[in-house]
Amino acid sequence: MKQESEWEPKLLGLLCRWCSYAGADLAGTSRKKYPANIKILKVPCSGRVDPLFILKALRLGFDGVLVSGCHPGDCHYQTGNYRARRRVAITKKLLEYMGIDPRRIQASWVSAAEGGKFAEVVAEVTKELKEIGPNQLFTPEGKGYGAKATGRG
Amino acid sequence: MEQKLRDGAKALLEQGKVDYIIGFEPGSLKFTTTPLITRDKDDIDRLVINPFIVNNLSAYLTELEGRVGIVAKGCDSRSIVSLIQDKQIAREDIVIIGIPCPGLIDLSKIEQLAGKDRDEVDDITREGDRVVIVVDGKKQEFPITEVLFDNCLGCDMPTPSEYDILLSESSPLVTDKTSSRKKIEGLKGTSQEERWSFWEKEFSRCIRCYACRNVCPACFCKRCFVEESEPQWISPVPQWQDNLMFQVIRNIHVAGRCTDCGECERACPVNIQLRSLAKEMYDIVDDLFQFKAGMDKEAAPLLTAYAVEEAEDFIR
Repeated sequence: MKQESEWEPKLLGLLCRWCSYAGADLAGTSRKKYPANIKILKVPCSGRVDPLFILKALRLGFDGVLVSGCHPGDCHYQTGNYRARRRVAITKKLLEYMGIDPRRIQASWVSAAEGGKFAEVVAEVTKELKEIGPNQLFTPEGKGYGAKATGRG
Repeated sequence: MEQKLRDGAKALLEQGKVDYIIGFEPGSLKFTTTPLITRDKDDIDRLVINPFIVNNLSAYLTELEGRVGIVAKGCDSRSIVSLIQDKQIAREDIVIIGIPCPGLIDLSKIEQLAGKDRDEVDDITREGDRVVIVVDGKKQEFPITEVLFDNCLGCDMPTPSEYDILLSESSPLVTDKTSSRKKIEGLKGTSQEERWSFWEKEFSRCIRCYACRNVCPACFCKRCFVEESEPQWISPVPQWQDNLMFQVIRNIHVAGRCTDCGECERACPVNIQLRSLAKEMYDIVDDLFQFKAGMDKEAAPLLTAYAVEEAEDFIR
C-alpha cells in the first residue's frame, strides 16, 4: 500500500502528432527535465480528441488529461485545433458544473519547436494535479477501478 | 386553431403534398396527448392542439421516408431547423405546420398545487395568464407561470420562425427566466463535492433504458457510442459511473443541437434531472459561442464550425 506522501498524479497527454508530440520529442532530445507523470498518447490531430477520451481517462482513474495541439493557425489540417478548442471548452465547463475540478482538464498549444514550453506545461499541470489530489470521482471508496471492470478498450 | 390545423392537414394529404402527417391526438391517460402519425385523411379529425402537446415530434422525421407534414411548436421548429443544418432531413421534404406556443402545462406541477393525482383533477383550463383547476367541483386559480414546464419558462422562441403554414398570429408566452434556471442555480450554489454527489445519486437511479436518447431529436446517430464494442467506451451495465458518463457524452454530442425542449427529462422513467444538464449545456454554448440551436438553417452546426478568436482563456 502506497503512503499518501508517495502518491504521484497520473496525467494523460493527448498530443497531436504534428506539433505537440514533436514538441515533447524535442523536450527529450534537448534533455529538458519534466515530470514523468505524463503518459503520452499520440493522436493524428488535436481535432481527433473526442470528449469521450477525456471522460474515459477520468473514468479509468487518470488524475488529469492534457489535450495539446498546434497553435491557432498552425494546424496541419487547417482547422482541427479550432474544433478541438470548442469541444474541450464545453467539456470543461459542463464537467465543472457537474462537480469535477476544471483543473483536471487541461489544454495547451505547443509547437514542434517548443520543447521548453512542453516541459513547463507538464510541470505546471502536474503541480496543479498534486494540489487537487487523487481522482476518486468514480471510486468514492478509494477502491480503485482500473481498466479491468470494463473489459477491453 | 384546431379546425384550421385539420383543414390544412387534410388538404396536404389530399393534394398529395405530403405522405404523412405527424401531430397530436388525445392520449389514453387524462389530459395527455400522444403522437399521431398517419397517411390516412380519415384520422385527421383526431388531431388536437391543447396545452398538453408536450412531445417534440421532430424526432420522428429521421425515421419516416417521403414527405412529411409536421405540427411544430417553437422549440420543435428549432429542432427541425437543427436537423436541416445537420443534413439529416431536407427542407423541401418537410411541411411545417407552425403553432405559436403559449407554453405547455406540467401535470406534475398541477398535481403539487392541487394536492391530488391527475386522475382526480376534473378540469384544467387556461385563461390568459391564469390557469383554472377544478377539483371536486371546486375552482382554484393560479398564475400560469406556476404550472408551465421549466423549459417553457425559459423559452427563446415560442412562435416558429421556420414554417410553411402558421396556424395563428404569435400568442404571448409568459416567461420567467429565473424560475426556468432555478434548479440549476440551486445546484451551482453548492460545493463541488455536493454537486458531484448529487449527480452520483441521480445517476444511481438510471436504468439505462435510453428513453432520453430515443426521444431526443438531436440524438439521430444510427449507431450510438454506447453500443460500440470495439472499443467498448462504457459498460452496458447500469452502474452510476457509466450512466453518468453516458449522459455527459450525450449532452456534449447534442450541444448546439439541443433546443431545451425538455423531452429528455419528461421521458425519464426515474425522474433524473436531465434538463438541469441539458439547459446548462444550452447556456454554456450560448455564453461561449453566442450559439443557439436551430435559429438559422444556413448556419453550420456548432461543433463543426469555429471562429479564429474565441474561448482561448483556458489554454496554456
